[in-house]
Amino acid sequence: MNILLIEDDLQTASFIQKGLSESGHIADHAEDGEEGLQLALNNKYDVLVIDRMLPLRDGLSVIKEIRKQEVETPVLILSALGEVDHRVEGLQVGGDDYLVKPYAFSELMARLQALMRRSQPTQEKSVLTVSDLEMNLIKHCVSRAGQVINLQPREFILLEQLMRHAGEVVTRTMLLEKVWGYHFDPQTNVVDVHISRLRSKIDREFSKPLLHTVRGAGYSLYDPDEEN
Amino acid sequence: MNKISNFRQLLNTTAFRLSLIYALLFSLIATVALSFIYWVAAEQIKHQTDERLQLETNVLMNRYHGGRFDALAQTIQRRNTDSSTTFFIYALLDRRGRDINKSFQPEYISADRRQAYATMTLGAISHLIPVKQKNAPARVLLTLLPNKHLLLVGADLNQQKHLLNKIFSVVISAIAIIFTLALLGGVLMGRSVLKRIDAVRKTAGEIIEGDLTQRMPFTRRNDEFDRLSLVLNRMLQRLEQSMQGMREVTDNLAHDLRTPLNRLRNRLELTQLKNPDMVDYQKSQQDAIEDVDALINTFNSLLNIAQTESGVKRKQLEQVDLSQLMNGLGELYEVVAEEENIDFKYAIEDALSVQGNLQLLAQAFTNLIDNAVKYTPENGCIRLQASRQNDEVIITISDTGLGIPEDQREHVFKRFVRLDNARSSVGNGLGLSLVKAVMDQHNAEIILGDNQPGLVVEVILQAFKR
Repeated sequence: MNILLIEDDLQTASFIQKGLSESGHIADHAEDGEEGLQLALNNKYDVLVIDRMLPLRDGLSVIKEIRKQEVETPVLILSALGEVDHRVEGLQVGGDDYLVKPYAFSELMARLQALMRRSQPTQEKSVLTVSDLEMNLIKHCVSRAGQVINLQPREFILLEQLMRHAGEVVTRTMLLEKVWGYHFDPQTNVVDVHISRLRSKIDREFSKPLLHTVRGAGYSLYDPDEEN
Repeated sequence: MNKISNFRQLLNTTAFRLSLIYALLFSLIATVALSFIYWVAAEQIKHQTDERLQLETNVLMNRYHGGRFDALAQTIQRRNTDSSTTFFIYALLDRRGRDINKSFQPEYISADRRQAYATMTLGAISHLIPVKQKNAPARVLLTLLPNKHLLLVGADLNQQKHLLNKIFSVVISAIAIIFTLALLGGVLMGRSVLKRIDAVRKTAGEIIEGDLTQRMPFTRRNDEFDRLSLVLNRMLQRLEQSMQGMREVTDNLAHDLRTPLNRLRNRLELTQLKNPDMVDYQKSQQDAIEDVDALINTFNSLLNIAQTESGVKRKQLEQVDLSQLMNGLGELYEVVAEEENIDFKYAIEDALSVQGNLQLLAQAFTNLIDNAVKYTPENGCIRLQASRQNDEVIITISDTGLGIPEDQREHVFKRFVRLDNARSSVGNGLGLSLVKAVMDQHNAEIILGDNQPGLVVEVILQAFKR
């Protein structure tokens, strides 16, 4: 995957570049807003990672310009400004996701993954499947190996998120945002409790676990047999 | 030098300039009024003189009645020599004396053309009668007698002139006194204003120097200066409080961050030891990351509280569906409580809505419920309730945990405060500070009470009004 990173802090940039190349992605780097804008307009990228505060041209104005030129590449905004209205502002000018510094690398990777998948055209499916787990979005029901599983509404949304990002890491923060709509971290790990409850419903009575904990990052739903 | 600058200052006060304008205006009005009085007095004197001249003439004419010219001449002679009547001058003019006409400019001539008034100096008639002062002003009434002689009755105007002069000087002095007094009043007023402003300025100077405990002086009069001082004092009080709070936070911050930073440093130093065990090494690394995360968390919480307190987010107040929010939180924590074997129940009325910021309120209530779950032992119970009473939405969160001793209930809202029995549990002592900051921003009241045993938190929010 081709990624453009616009970030003026060289250490942060080289750190992200290294991490991305280890996961098999190619990342171009621009040090200021102008250079970044030129690169973004003249090349085809799968996702753009843009720091909010940049020399020459600030991140939000880069995004505005790109969107004006009808470049629809997904954009992840990195920022030290974490207030809710800053986030809203970032998303309003055309950013697709917003990550506040300092962040865990796993969080960044998970969010990039989610964005990159979005840049590939996929048909809106009515049935999601992972191994023998099946979710019918129209009938609003879940079954595993033909056996119907009863889920609470919130559990359904939680599972839906995991299934839509099957094979990818989904972080706790992402789940809090997407499932509960909270942009903050409660002190107690409420997400863990809900995941373990969900796990007991979809995994307990089956020999093959599908819902996995990724240490220090979050959760991932995948079929362990298919992975390798 | 100092005096000059003081005077300059005085000149520059609004009070002084205003009173100067007032003094000028007042003096002008006084001048007009007194001039009018002077003019009326002068007219009146003139009128009276004329009337007395006419009276004298009438008396003499009565004597003449029937052509007794000699009797008239005798009377005139007698009157002129009578020392008691220095005021009037009498003369009979024959043809020879009629050259008076040359210096005689009649001001008023009667309808039968027999009488005429004139004003002149006594010198003009000195060749006809003996006069004392030649340049004294005189008012003269001439009457044409049937035998073609002229009867002259004149009045010495010296006295009147003196009187008028006196009035004139009184008027001038009055104007001068009025102006001086007004000016003096202005100076005094300006001085007193300056004095009070100087006192405020002096205090402000001391505050600038760093003494925040200083307060503006005020009197019991409760005038505009006192009101200004009182408002300034309230502002200073607020400032001092925030400074105090800030100092406390900084102190606490330095203190509370030193420990985890030290721990982190130790961990990293351990990894530098020779031949570290790989498992230990990775463990240290993981622990270090967790330490850093905890630090970041503390920073974020502090920043969040600071931003909330400064009211940055006040602008984005919107209608918040509190029923939905509380139900969501209830649902979120029901599972967590169940995991801990705590009986958790929530009863939320429908259609509760408040004016506020959803994320902030969610975070505040999350912190409160989080605390309840954290401090409630196994088999305890937690109740979450929200209902509307008149114009208020009341949320209560009660638990059967340790509770908070009454004398600590104000204290726990301060930053980094952790009660002794809570030290062992996870947390940074910032949760309730944020709750307080959020509730202050929402003009909400938060009351901590005793649940016997346990804590009951009551939050009173204003219901949303269209």
